[in-house]
Amino acid sequence: MTFEPRIVGFLCNWCSYTGADLAGTSRINYQPNVRIIRVMCSARIDPTFVMKALAEGADGVLVCGCHPGDCHYTEGNYKAMRRYPLLKRLLSDYGIEEERFRLEWVSASEGKRFADIVDDMTERLRELGPSRVKAALATDAAER
Amino acid sequence: MNEPRVGVYVCNCGTNIAKMVDCDGVAEFASSLPGVVVARSYKYMCSNPGQEMIVQDIEQHDLERVVVAACSPRMHEATFRRALETAGLNPYLIEMANIREQCSWVHSDPVGATDKAKALVHAAVNRVIRHEPLERMSVDMCPNTLVIGGGIAGMTAALELADAGKRVYLVERLAKLGGNVARVDLTAPYLDSARDIITFLVTRVTEHDNIEVMTESTVEGLDGFVGNFKAAINCKGDPGVEVDVGSVVVCTGYKEFDAARITHYGYGKLPNVITSFELEHMLREGRIETKEGKAPQYVAIVHCVGSRSEEYHSYCSRVCCMTALKYAHEIKSALPGSYVSDVYVDMHAFGKGCEDFYRRSSEVKTLFLMYGRGEHPVIRKAAAGDDCDMLIEVNEKLSGETVEIPADLVVLMVGMEPRDDVHDVAHLVSISTDKDGWFIESHPKLDPVATTTDGIYIAGACQAPKDIPDTVAQARAAAARILAKVARGKLVIDAVYAEVDEDRCSGCRVCNELCPYVAIEYDEEKRRSHVISALCKACGACVAACPSGAIKARHFTDEQIFAEIEGVLE
Repeated sequence: MTFEPRIVGFLCNWCSYTGADLAGTSRINYQPNVRIIRVMCSARIDPTFVMKALAEGADGVLVCGCHPGDCHYTEGNYKAMRRYPLLKRLLSDYGIEEERFRLEWVSASEGKRFADIVDDMTERLRELGPSRVKAALATDAAER
Repeated sequence: MNEPRVGVYVCNCGTNIAKMVDCDGVAEFASSLPGVVVARSYKYMCSNPGQEMIVQDIEQHDLERVVVAACSPRMHEATFRRALETAGLNPYLIEMANIREQCSWVHSDPVGATDKAKALVHAAVNRVIRHEPLERMSVDMCPNTLVIGGGIAGMTAALELADAGKRVYLVERLAKLGGNVARVDLTAPYLDSARDIITFLVTRVTEHDNIEVMTESTVEGLDGFVGNFKAAINCKGDPGVEVDVGSVVVCTGYKEFDAARITHYGYGKLPNVITSFELEHMLREGRIETKEGKAPQYVAIVHCVGSRSEEYHSYCSRVCCMTALKYAHEIKSALPGSYVSDVYVDMHAFGKGCEDFYRRSSEVKTLFLMYGRGEHPVIRKAAAGDDCDMLIEVNEKLSGETVEIPADLVVLMVGMEPRDDVHDVAHLVSISTDKDGWFIESHPKLDPVATTTDGIYIAGACQAPKDIPDTVAQARAAAARILAKVARGKLVIDAVYAEVDEDRCSGCRVCNELCPYVAIEYDEEKRRSHVISALCKACGACVAACPSGAIKARHFTDEQIFAEIEGVLE
């Protein structure tokens, strides 16, 4: 049986969650590997959410917000945009492959784009294999 | 922790969910989750019996929390919140799992879809256990309305509101009211005069005591929230005009497609190739003539210029087909000896009276030639000896033959497209645009004039190409929506906002600068930050940034989101 990655998706309420809903109303088929958690704005996504998801066994974390300039809250997505490289670097210092964390802009009209992103991320994670974060944390805890 | 008693309801949505997700299996899975005392699968949870089932269970099983796994919360969260209120539960003690738009409708593998639905239900149960009852705020609803755009949509909405006794500020960027309809001669399909329609509206609007018309004006800023907006208007060069409004109707219309973008029709090169609006101008002047000042003997009308094309706009502009037929009538009656040919792709005659109009046009001996989608007729200058200015070659689909027709005047039916400033307007009032640039309505069928931002409405062609009757209907509908809110006087606003735990706040003021709404004030005396809840729009930027973890996003707390993360991954 092939490995099926589990992806946690944090989507902003106004653009990306609506875009994901549009993929549904347009019946655009994509891989069932993503589990979506709705937040009001991508700026709400605390880096600990991403860490928590990886620690709980997610093979990948996807963050989606409105396109730059289109944020419902004027500039929240810029905050997400600035946090992203910092967190990405931190994760890479921990040895977590960069394919496991992704930030994408998805507008309310981009159902197809959302579906394509999920398919692409699923495919990449299938190739990459399961995340070792949860197991490593368990070993670490046992050794202590 | 004493776990609250949870009820879980898995909606089949007829077969919409049930055909891909094993709903009974999901309900059975849910019944095994901690805290869940009742879990059911039912055909339509949003139906009356579905809602009654929840209400009865709350009473019989002493439920304290409810999970509904169904459509998107954007669709029915409000419905189920009302059901909870009916049963005497706080409306925030429900969580929806989106297993339709984000599951059954997008997956083709029943096993994968069912697993995903279970994970989403698990997350919702985990989350709802941590929900807190929240009290909504009640605020005054300002009865005034700002209408942006003085075309037919804006004027109609303004009159409807003003006639109900409410104050309207009608802002138009140009010197004159009327919009694009003011550039039109007659209207299809009844051939009544656009001038009469516009004159009637402009007269009533300008004379109305309740309407303040601001021409040569633009809206520069909009602050606040539904019922309590403050708009900054640049009125004829005076940038300091501020008005208080409770609602905004955006009626910014459209612009016509620039025919010069299509080179193969020779627009801008061949002098007698003109656009539909240029013909309207001639018709309004009462003189149809070529650049040489002669009455044309042969007039050809070309449809779908910029519309229904891969290269330009994929959508249909909706009004051009009937407008083209209107031209055939007007040209025939102004120049009885002329020959009119109508070069089209498909004839869209969907509106009331339009099919009859099409039949009548066929009877006045208009020559109809059909060309294929993805092709285009070729226009070239005629030879010196020909009795016409140009020749048009068409691969006629119905006969299967290539025909050549003469033309002295070619009219390009240019489609509608979003105005260049749509993104500025969208940004100004916090609404979204679709892939083509039209403003997005709250729901395409159930809520076509509201937007996802409370208090902001859209009407007319800024939402999508539409004709005058549809525009007027939408404008009046927007006004009715506003009047319904104004009639209640008070407005209940969402209880979701951020709050600072003063005991944990270190007074670092990081959040003060982050807030896009200046909703966080700093108390110098206490050395603590404080959120003004009425101004907070709940984005949560401050929550994620607070180094002390002192700010709580009500209904989106860290604890609730952590619980959700655990739920989807268990």
